[in-house]
Amino acid sequence: MTKISNGRNIEASAPHWIEWVTGAISAIIVLTVIVWIGKDGILDRDRSPDLHGQVVQTEERSDGFQVLFEIHNDSSVTASQVKVRGELRDQGSVLESSESVLDYVPGHSRAGGGLIFRQNPAGKELTVRPTAFDEP
Amino acid sequence: MSIATSGRDFDTSKFFGGIARGIAGALLFALPMLMTMEMWELGVYMDRSRLLLLLLLNIPLLIVLSDRVGFEETSTWRQAIRDASIAYALGILSSALILVAIGVIKEDQSTHEIIGMIALQAVPASIGAMLGRSQLGGQSGDDHHGDGSADDDPVHERETSYAGELFLMAVGALFLNLNVAPTEEMILLSYKMTPWHALVIIVGSLAAMHGFVYALSFRGSHDLAEGTPSWHAFVRFTLPGYLIAGLISAYCLWTFHRTDDMGSTQILMIVVILSFPGAIGAAAARLIL
Repeated sequence: MTKISNGRNIEASAPHWIEWVTGAISAIIVLTVIVWIGKDGILDRDRSPDLHGQVVQTEERSDGFQVLFEIHNDSSVTASQVKVRGELRDQGSVLESSESVLDYVPGHSRAGGGLIFRQNPAGKELTVRPTAFDEP
Repeated sequence: MSIATSGRDFDTSKFFGGIARGIAGALLFALPMLMTMEMWELGVYMDRSRLLLLLLLNIPLLIVLSDRVGFEETSTWRQAIRDASIAYALGILSSALILVAIGVIKEDQSTHEIIGMIALQAVPASIGAMLGRSQLGGQSGDDHHGDGSADDDPVHERETSYAGELFLMAVGALFLNLNVAPTEEMILLSYKMTPWHALVIIVGSLAAMHGFVYALSFRGSHDLAEGTPSWHAFVRFTLPGYLIAGLISAYCLWTFHRTDDMGSTQILMIVVILSFPGAIGAAAARLIL
């Protein structure tokens, strides 16, 4: 409890126990966050991102076939401006390709987007992979 | 100060003065957000259930804020609710006017976009309107203690409950957070920082917060009762305040889709960086409000 007396605020000298309990819980949570981040600071030795792509699903839309993909980053380092290239192949030859750029793929996270093909990817070989990135 | 106490002593100039102060407050607090590109984009694409939740949470926030900072003398919950709705309406109105005036809202846009943009901006603008009415309000026109009774005016001797202090910190944190949370700089900063930077920011935020309220002799700063060690205030006020700033940061980031698909450490990092302005806002609110 805080007492305001003529513009001065004076904290009560005999606070309610709830104030101490709240303070103690807050201290525990703040310390947990510090320990968690500190642990990552010590353990994460990654110097560059580790990206790989994955097709999530293919849907037929008004103008072609929409392939939703995810790019996973297994490293703790974030990649920005990640170029993603999707290729549709049939017996080794590339039938169609499509590209997209993701703003960020954060460390130990994923980011998604979509590629649109004219031909149905069903029964053909579809690859989605990151081809380039920047450092943020 | 309340704009009118009863139907009989309704004072038109005071009423419109209050409305004008509300609009001034909305402008003062919300203009930075009205002129932020990410806020326009968020109004268009953000998840409608998250927007709805934000709009609904703003109602009790405004009511409690109205009860807490606006009207010390003649406050009832009915008046608080009335003033909260006025503030919300002023927020919506001034956001709409500004967004049209700066050419962000044009007639060829869909209603979905227009409503979304105005609704999102109305939240900070309504908080601004509420604070504007109380903080920008002068003494002129409603001098209640002209007969020399200022010394024993109840306003000078009042107690803020612990929950009240925490609420003020939440409002302060929310205010600064709403300003910066939608910007891309926040996520970019969290990507540039290493965990060690984050730890320094945590310690710095706590120190700044404690210093703001207790060490630096600002007007409205707090003192401890005689013989109380200073770590008491650190545990009872600064640490919970920092936690509140963190929770508000996390809520803002989630609302603005900044934590979607992120790993837990990345989320912690971005919450820590946003809690820095949040902590300063929380500390400042204890001094100002």
